[in-house]
Amino acid sequence: MNTHNLFVRNGLFLLIGLVFGFFLSRAGATDPAMISALLLFQNFHLLWVIATAVGVGAVLNLLAKYRQWHSLTSGQPISFPHKPFVRALIPGALLFGAGWGLTGVCPGTAPAMLGEGQWFVGVILIGIILGTWLVGWIDHRLHKPAQSGNHASATR
Amino acid sequence: MTQPDLSFWSLTTEFLTTPLWPAWIAGGAIGLLAFSQRWITDQPLGCSAAFGNACARLGSQLPLFQSAAHGSATDWKLWFLVGIFLGGLVASLSSGHWAAPTDFGTFYQALMPTSMAGRVLWWLFGGVLIGLGARLAGGCTSGHTINGVAMGSPASIVASALFFAAAVGTAQLTHLLLKTTMVGG
Repeated sequence: MNTHNLFVRNGLFLLIGLVFGFFLSRAGATDPAMISALLLFQNFHLLWVIATAVGVGAVLNLLAKYRQWHSLTSGQPISFPHKPFVRALIPGALLFGAGWGLTGVCPGTAPAMLGEGQWFVGVILIGIILGTWLVGWIDHRLHKPAQSGNHASATR
Repeated sequence: MTQPDLSFWSLTTEFLTTPLWPAWIAGGAIGLLAFSQRWITDQPLGCSAAFGNACARLGSQLPLFQSAAHGSATDWKLWFLVGIFLGGLVASLSSGHWAAPTDFGTFYQALMPTSMAGRVLWWLFGGVLIGLGARLAGGCTSGHTINGVAMGSPASIVASALFFAAAVGTAQLTHLLLKTTMVGG
């Protein structure tokens, strides 16, 4: 892909992200009090948000799948790549859920919360980057290649 | 008293600047946007993979972050997060008030340590759990739940059920502990 296309693509995703962040904020998903109210079964507002989002998405996905709708930029039929059942899915999902429950923040709402002025999320974002790095480190430890000497620099 | 302006434009503006929308409107908008992204770009919605790109751009040489999945051709994922940041900013500015940066609600207020140093450690630890867990599971609430469950992807349904089970379990258990310690102490 040439530089111009990359520029357009990045700009397009910046724009979609902007709308997504705006919607997350209007949905109340960026309010920790709203998250705790959901998790403690005090207020189901966010449950209805998620249920409607998934429902609307499911109907449109089914339509697109069976009517062979084409993607606007690629011109090909829209693809529906399922995420694989990775071995770490269960422990990972449980750890993520615990982190979400303890802070009321998730990777998608974090940048929007920072944009809203909830500066404490900056610390959480640093934590998310550290946690992600840890996955790369674990991955490296588990798949240690035979000539590990060459990879001494890989633990940065 | 002037007459209330009921033109289409003023009603739209009023709605767009309302801080909290009815659940079905906000949810419908998110579902529509997630599908629009799929239709326009043929890329599924997702947020947590971008943090792998962040690790690569910050200079990590670990093989996972040097893989094509986090190569510079996928840096639109990072731009998407920058967009989300701007979206939060626009939402706050247009509704005329900044989110109170220290309003965590009564539950998190009671749950978190009281000292600032303790809170920073709490947020850091929580963030590590979020990043570690989401990347091990291959997605977060957007990639697995909003995107994956809407496709009927089995792995995403299992992951989402466990996200909610663990989050509800953690919150309910700590809530119970807080109550007992408050009564006891």
